[in-house]
Amino acid sequence: MKAYFLNDIKAAGSSAVATKKKPEVKETDSLCPYCGVGCALTFVVDQEKNRILYTRGRDGAPNAERLCVKGRYGFDYAMHEQRLTTPLIRKAGSYPKGPLSALVKESTGKHKPGGRVDYNEILPHFREAGWDEALDLAASRLKQIRDTHGGGALAGFGSAKGSNEEAYLFQKLVRAAFGTNNVDHCTRLCHASSVAALLEGIGSGAVTNVVRDVANADVAILTGCNPTENHPVAATFIKDAAVNGTKLIVINPRRPQIADFAEMYLRPKPGSDVALYNGMMNVMIAEDLIDREFIANRVDGFDALKKVVADYTPERVAKLTGLPAEDIIRAARLFGSAKAAMIFWGMGISQHTFGTDNARCLIALAMITGNVGRPGTGLHPLRGQNNVQGASDSGLIPMMYPDYQSVKDPKIQAKFEKYWGVKLSPEVGLTVTEIIGAALKGSVKGMYMMGENPFLSDPDINKVRKALSALEFLVVQDIFLTETAEFADVIFPASSFMEKTGTYTNTDRRVQIGRPALKMPGAARQDWELICEIGNRMGYPMKYTSVEEVFDEFAACTNEYKTLSYQNLGPYGKWYPCPDPKTSQGEKIVFGDTFPSGKAKLVPAQVTEPDELPTEEYPFVLNTGRVLEHWHTGSMTRRSQALDTIEPEAFVEVHPLDAAKLGLQEGDWLQVKSRRGEITLKARVHDRATPGSVFIPMHFREAAANVLTNPAIDPIGKIPTFKFCAVRLSKHL
Amino acid sequence: MATTARKLIKLTIDGKPAQVPEGTSIWDAARNIGIDIPVLCHSPRMRPVGVCRMCVVDIGLRVMAASCVRLCEEGMNVDASSAKVEKHRKMLTSLLLSDYPENSARESSTGNDQLLALARKFAIEHISLPDGAAGHARGSDMSSPVIAVDHQACILCDKCIRGCDELQHNNVITRTGKGYAARIAFDLNNPMGESTCVACGECMAVCPTGALTNKPVTSMRAAVGKQRNQKRGEA
Repeated sequence: MKAYFLNDIKAAGSSAVATKKKPEVKETDSLCPYCGVGCALTFVVDQEKNRILYTRGRDGAPNAERLCVKGRYGFDYAMHEQRLTTPLIRKAGSYPKGPLSALVKESTGKHKPGGRVDYNEILPHFREAGWDEALDLAASRLKQIRDTHGGGALAGFGSAKGSNEEAYLFQKLVRAAFGTNNVDHCTRLCHASSVAALLEGIGSGAVTNVVRDVANADVAILTGCNPTENHPVAATFIKDAAVNGTKLIVINPRRPQIADFAEMYLRPKPGSDVALYNGMMNVMIAEDLIDREFIANRVDGFDALKKVVADYTPERVAKLTGLPAEDIIRAARLFGSAKAAMIFWGMGISQHTFGTDNARCLIALAMITGNVGRPGTGLHPLRGQNNVQGASDSGLIPMMYPDYQSVKDPKIQAKFEKYWGVKLSPEVGLTVTEIIGAALKGSVKGMYMMGENPFLSDPDINKVRKALSALEFLVVQDIFLTETAEFADVIFPASSFMEKTGTYTNTDRRVQIGRPALKMPGAARQDWELICEIGNRMGYPMKYTSVEEVFDEFAACTNEYKTLSYQNLGPYGKWYPCPDPKTSQGEKIVFGDTFPSGKAKLVPAQVTEPDELPTEEYPFVLNTGRVLEHWHTGSMTRRSQALDTIEPEAFVEVHPLDAAKLGLQEGDWLQVKSRRGEITLKARVHDRATPGSVFIPMHFREAAANVLTNPAIDPIGKIPTFKFCAVRLSKHL
Repeated sequence: MATTARKLIKLTIDGKPAQVPEGTSIWDAARNIGIDIPVLCHSPRMRPVGVCRMCVVDIGLRVMAASCVRLCEEGMNVDASSAKVEKHRKMLTSLLLSDYPENSARESSTGNDQLLALARKFAIEHISLPDGAAGHARGSDMSSPVIAVDHQACILCDKCIRGCDELQHNNVITRTGKGYAARIAFDLNNPMGESTCVACGECMAVCPTGALTNKPVTSMRAAVGKQRNQKRGEA
């Protein structure tokens, strides 16, 4: 009986090594590579086989040992057989450039291309090369374009998946060696409008308090976000708070699961956010539920705001939003009479042509009620990527140097010219969406793409494909062959999160260190070294002996990071600002006394119509987003066995009433067509959204939602309107 | 954040003096002064429920008290590791092991089976009780792609239920059945893979035994990769 443990016990008793052969494991304290929550975890690794065996949550400030399915089970992509292991150069016969994989656009129905880029279709167009050849080719072609057409003909996309150090070096390379500010990353597709509104309103784009401060809030608004799926571990703390008495007001046209925990769930018409918040402010002002002292001391522009929202009576807003007037009044009273209230928001606010206006309203809502700077109060745009906060902090955006120092300010320009030892461009660079447009027109000719896959993540994929084909020279640095790599001249095999050291700044402004758990496959190299190699070979010396040295250079040119170092960040990191890292964890809550801009500036907004309203031909509103198990363009999660098994396919979520009208059953194939393209995918019938609207996740290349989306952008944040375009549905037989 | 000042209580644990705020459990008080009382159903991350009885201590009363739920009292004299207490724990471990399967999936995955750790601690070499695990009568559930459920290895400590409901707020895991047939269940007793489980793995992480364990993601990956390569005619 029970031989197993008896043997084991005997072995242990005789102090011999356990009889069962167990792999020699090494534990590495690191972070989760996925979302902005920034969970601390431990990778347990079989060193001999260079494989992660499992992960374990650590007691980090953002997660208290909790993890979600991605952090717990989504680590195996790094060990995938399709990892790039050698530099690749496009063969001479494979020009002119064009898409190499099967057309996504064509509705091939059940015989659609697979979920990932087909290596067999793409690899024959490339030949393996040595590092020197690949790096020299890339550097010389980029240099040639710069010298012939000027720095403005070059551009770079970095990634919010990379570390602060990588982001800092990448923007330095583009600014100092390319000679242009044309550097951007996926923040443009996520919170650019929120950041624009926050910078304008209070002078800082970061959150004012941490997620877990929700425990101290009486009321919390969660709008345009679905934390259960997109910030799963943050959601558990928000639910903790709700169970302990924090009243949640959940606002979202597509009912998020967290509405189960809410005091109120409001389902406004898609795109009617400005009206709703103006309506709530109208009620608060009318019923004197505002903080007059806070307004007098800390806020400018209240009178102008008051004038604008005066027109947004509950009755009028009821018509604009489709919500009952009494719900608007009740929500306003709930928020307005709370002693401490905070606001979380997500892409449902930011990804609109009026995304900046949406965020301005939320800022005003917090300001007129005095809900910033105290425990349980604050503005928290939930950040998407693990390092989207840090990438922006590091200057990976076209209008700012590190730490939001404007490229337009000659004094700051002079400071960085001295710091980096080279003349810099005084012109604001182009954003992601503008760079794609410029490539199409031919004014941007050469690009360096580090870890970005705009093919799947940018709106109107067919346009992106044309733009990428039009580039004279494209360097792609990634861990897999992405859809973007099809258009590359040179491909650099790079390092995965699990193979590198770096700092990452989470949604709470917590700077934490990720540590390497695995060895890189084949000839793959560290991303930061590759950036330096390009710089060096273009004649701009970038010489560092370690990642820490890069961090120190970055920190030294900022205010927020200057007190931080690898030494004092330690195993659990710190929140910035952190005036005294020796004694403190950093600031959980900021702006208790004043804002970086002095007083907060209220900017009233008027409701505007979405860029593309439904018509008879395109009667449905398309909303896009993410699902729990997948990440963005899927290049990681679709290579994770567990995640891809749980959620293997694309779908379009249709309301039961619409399904009945169309004669649809769950699982039927459906063609979804917009003015830009069409895709074919399976229907899921669900009543989370309102009739007349459908939802498609963005991750699946075989039915890419962004074939359909509208590239119209917010005029200030330059963010595309991913959350709203008009589509037609038809049954695919 | 202001913490309301609580009355301090003085007590002795294994002869060591301790001073804790009113409302502190004996288990926490012992931990504060470096005495680790063994427990299967509790962790500092959770609300204590006192179901496994492994953490019992002698406080001089007629029966021993579960230290995870029993609060400290002024002047209490706690015996947390006497022969009497250890004998009780050893007996309890033997009883739990008598129903335990031969192979603990935890030992072969994350390698931290807490029940087997206790068996080692008490050097239990022989269990003079009938083998309740014969035929693996309590069954298993392999329907989740990431978590293996072995009901035979479940000691009904409820940690998974608290992990699912109170830490992650997913409210998927519950109990079903009565008496010896009692076991954990998912939703309305569905297979785990068909339930509303979101695979966060909290239940697996908090489970002290081989009842809820990781399926091997890595080896699954390797096996699938090999198959694919073979299909493509590669090595």
